Amino acid sequence: MLVLALRSVRQRPGRFLATLLSAFLGAAIVMAFNSLHDTAGAPGVDAVSSETLRTAAGVVGGYGTLLVFFAVASALTVNVRQRAAELELLRCSGATPGQLKRMVVGEAVAVALVGTAAAVLPAVLGGRLLVELFQDTGQVARSVDHSFGAVALSSGVGVTLVASAGAALLAVRRVTRGRRTVRRRPVFAWAALAAGAVAASSTFAFSATDEMLMAFPAQGAILLSVGFALMAPKLLTGVLGRLALGGASGWLAVRNLRRRAGELSGILMALILFTAVSTATLTMQAVESDEVAASGTVKSVAAKNLETLNYTVVGIIVVFVCVMLVNSLYAATTYRGREFGQQRLAGATPGQVLGVVGVEGLVLTVVGLLFGTAAALAGIVPFTVVRSDAVLPGQLVGVWVAVAAVGAAATVGTSLFTARRVLRTPAVRAVGATA
Amino acid sequence: MVRNRARHDPRTEPAAEALRLVKVTKSYGAAENAVTALDGVTLGLARGTFTAVMGPSGSGKSTLLQCAAGLERPDAGIVRVDGTELTGAGETDLTKFRRGRVGFVFQQYNLLETLTVAQNTVLPLKLAGRRVDRRRATEILTAVGLGDRLGHRPDQLSGGQRQRVAIARALVAEPRVIFADEPTGALDTRSARDVLALLREAVRAHGRTVVMVTHDPVAASWADSVLFLADGRLAGRMDAPTADTVAERLAHLGDDAPVGV
Ligand SMILES: Nc1ncnc2c1ncn2[C@@H]1O[C@H](COP(=O)(O)OP(=O)(O)OP(=O)(O)O)[C@@H](O)[C@H]1O
Ligand SMILES: [Mg+2]
Repeated sequence: MLVLALRSVRQRPGRFLATLLSAFLGAAIVMAFNSLHDTAGAPGVDAVSSETLRTAAGVVGGYGTLLVFFAVASALTVNVRQRAAELELLRCSGATPGQLKRMVVGEAVAVALVGTAAAVLPAVLGGRLLVELFQDTGQVARSVDHSFGAVALSSGVGVTLVASAGAALLAVRRVTRGRRTVRRRPVFAWAALAAGAVAASSTFAFSATDEMLMAFPAQGAILLSVGFALMAPKLLTGVLGRLALGGASGWLAVRNLRRRAGELSGILMALILFTAVSTATLTMQAVESDEVAASGTVKSVAAKNLETLNYTVVGIIVVFVCVMLVNSLYAATTYRGREFGQQRLAGATPGQVLGVVGVEGLVLTVVGLLFGTAAALAGIVPFTVVRSDAVLPGQLVGVWVAVAAVGAAATVGTSLFTARRVLRTPAVRAVGATA
Repeated sequence: MVRNRARHDPRTEPAAEALRLVKVTKSYGAAENAVTALDGVTLGLARGTFTAVMGPSGSGKSTLLQCAAGLERPDAGIVRVDGTELTGAGETDLTKFRRGRVGFVFQQYNLLETLTVAQNTVLPLKLAGRRVDRRRATEILTAVGLGDRLGHRPDQLSGGQRQRVAIARALVAEPRVIFADEPTGALDTRSARDVLALLREAVRAHGRTVVMVTHDPVAASWADSVLFLADGRLAGRMDAPTADTVAERLAHLGDDAPVGV
């Protein structure tokens, strides 16, 4: 089976590009930040520098691990689902579920190893850049040298491998268990929502100048968005139940989305998390910076650390979510060549097919933005009420427009671009190819 | 551009000749290992006729139908459907032209998995922005024996049932020319007879033109005439076919055809 796995990776390297890219990016980020642990652990590093380095490594490393798992899982799920037919064929030709599992997990591990190996050099450079960044802002002493050691390497390899193998196992189990979808327990979603609400409202227990002030609304917004994200399939079905769009394209789009709500929830999840985390963090950081500037005081090292971390985390999340959205939308849309061919043979012009794809992307974006923004506001409003005297900060509009633009461009842009490419194949062949 | 569009608006009278192919050639693949699927096929079919196309597997029957319907572009030659020349038109123009006048039942079923039987059947009308007559759609679906399956999805149907939905879909748009690629290939004898009766009724009662690919001499005997294809070339024609004469002819097909390509 491992031989089969390796052969299948070699035969169709393109299909594993998404997984490879996720593993590469994930390993690079995890290793770059964890190398700060190595740096802090080197002899002769002073306490303040060490503290800064360890906080950054801890916070971003934690986030990074979560994101790697999420990204690799989504890429692998798409990959395995696309190959459902191939796996089914193997099963019918006598492959046991265990053999299939070993094959898919073997592939995932092979791809993860390649991705991690390729990520070492970028991670070394990235880690060096981070240390320099902290030195420029005076958060880390000039005398500290970046070092890339055991912690960085083991965490990078460990996280990526575990994430890949785990995600592959889950994905293949879903396929070999038949079409029944695994019922997600609503308990987690409700727990996340409740915890988010508590965190956001505990903001009011702090005073305007408290150092910890931003932590609670930020956690609240993130937890709420996780809750919404877990409910994504239900939210989408709920919205679609009330949605009636005119025109043949709109009619088809709504029906497609209703049927594919389960598949698309991964994309919706990414959109909700992306919107909530980036809107909340960027807006609160902007409010904080403006308040500090207005009061005329100088930022402490801790405040600066927090700012750097906030921007880094948002940056990483934005890059990751965009890569993930583009990855999974590209793969999912490429896979729809046959369906597009069927629409064209039923009398849809290429323009109408693109119309369907565009409307689908737009509906997804709007729903994602809606719930993401709701989660973000739940954190932002308590924060601004306590920190300044306003309810809605003026900085919100600019941040939100930028976030919405990136989300919409990634979602609608990728779908349309891919669909246009797919439409180049004549309809009869698109339909016949996988028949 | 699709030429003579104004003159052959769907509301105008159908042309006397439903289909004309002149020296149509089509090959697949790159130069050195190219396969010639159609090799200079010339034929004409009058309006209101029911024609069967027969020939060995790989002889180019599906390709012939796809070229005739404007779904594949011939390498050379002229295709004229209902008096309008299709050669050289873009996909959007061809699609709009087909909507009103060409129906196609494919070898694969080509139903959208996300739509129910009823929705699949009226999809071409919706896409064309035409009025959807649900009663008529239900009537036709009942006629093909699917009156009690309207809300089912394609993956809940058997192969033969899916094939019948595809036929209903082709009939509902009331096209002038219907191309059917092995429409009875997956059906039992009785359902096949029902489908053939529907196709013949479309010709007799509504003046449509039907071109049907089949491997079954019995199915071919329902047609007014049979065209035989071998190695991408026309290898004969038989009027008023019966199952026996067709089977006899098929057995000797290729005896006098040129060998090789
Ligand atoms: N998309 C394609 N790419 C390459 N070759 C093709 C393609 N479609 C058809 N061919 C080739 O063209 C020839 C004619 O194919 P076609 O599908 O028209 O045969 P057919 O008469 O319909 O056969 P069957 O009875 O098996 O359906 C065959 O040799 C086939 O291999
Ligand atoms: Mg064929």
